[in-house]
Amino acid sequence: MRRLLPLLLSTSFRLLLWCLLTADLSRLNLLIGVAVALALPRARSRPLPLRELLRALWLSLVAVPRAYGEALRLMVASDLEERMVREPVTDRTIPLLMFLDVFRITLTPFTIALGLEPDGQHYRVHALLPRRQTLRPPAEETP
Amino acid sequence: MGLAAISETASLLLLGIGLVFWFWGTWPLLETSSYARKLHALSVADTLGSALMLLGLLLRIPRQWPLLTLGLLALMLWNTIFGYVLATCSQPRRRPTGLSRNPQEEPR
Repeated sequence: MRRLLPLLLSTSFRLLLWCLLTADLSRLNLLIGVAVALALPRARSRPLPLRELLRALWLSLVAVPRAYGEALRLMVASDLEERMVREPVTDRTIPLLMFLDVFRITLTPFTIALGLEPDGQHYRVHALLPRRQTLRPPAEETP
Repeated sequence: MGLAAISETASLLLLGIGLVFWFWGTWPLLETSSYARKLHALSVADTLGSALMLLGLLLRIPRQWPLLTLGLLALMLWNTIFGYVLATCSQPRRRPTGLSRNPQEEPR
C-alpha cells in the first residue's frame, strides 16, 4: 500500500485537474483522463509515510486561513522588523513533503522560505514580523 | 433579502477586499524597502488578494466553478512557489556541505 501511494496520489491529482479542466464527467472523458494521468512521466519516489503526509496536508490547509490572519496583522502593523529564523525540515528525502513544507512556510505573509541551512535539517526562513513590544528602552543610535 | 442578493453582496465584498489587498501589496514595489520585504507584501497581494477575487467571481458565476476552482488551486500553488523561487534566487549562492564534488576546488 505504501509503495502504491505515490502512484495513486499523482494519478488522482492529475485526474482531478483533468476533470476540472474539461468539466465533463462522462465515461469516455474519464477514461481519457486516466490514460493521460498514467501516461505522463512520474518522478521516482520512496514509499510515502501516510501519517506524515496527512499531517503535512493538514498543516498546509490550515495555513490558508492563518495566511489571511497574518495578512491583516501585517497591514495594520506600523512597525515591522525583518529577522532570519530556522524551521525544521519534515523529511528531506521525500520531495512531496519538502514541497508542502515550503508551500506552508511561503504562503503565510510573515515568512518566506529561502532554502536549506547547511546542516540540511532546517529551512532558512526570512520573517517579517510586527515588532515585539519590548520593555527595555531602545539602544542608543550612533550618529 | 433573497439568496441571490446576499451572494451578490458577498461577491462584491470579496472583490473589493481582494482589490484592497492588491493595492496594499503592490504599493511597496515602488518604495525603497528591501527585496524580501517586497516579496512578503506581494504574497499578500498576489496570492491572497487574487484568491479572494476568484472566490468573489465564484459567487458571481457559479456555473463556471470547475475552471474557477482550477484557477484558484493553480494560483495558490504557483504564486507561492514563485515567491519562494524569487526569494531563493535573490540569495548569494551557497554550497551545501558534503555535496561538493571537488573539495579542492578554489572558491571563486
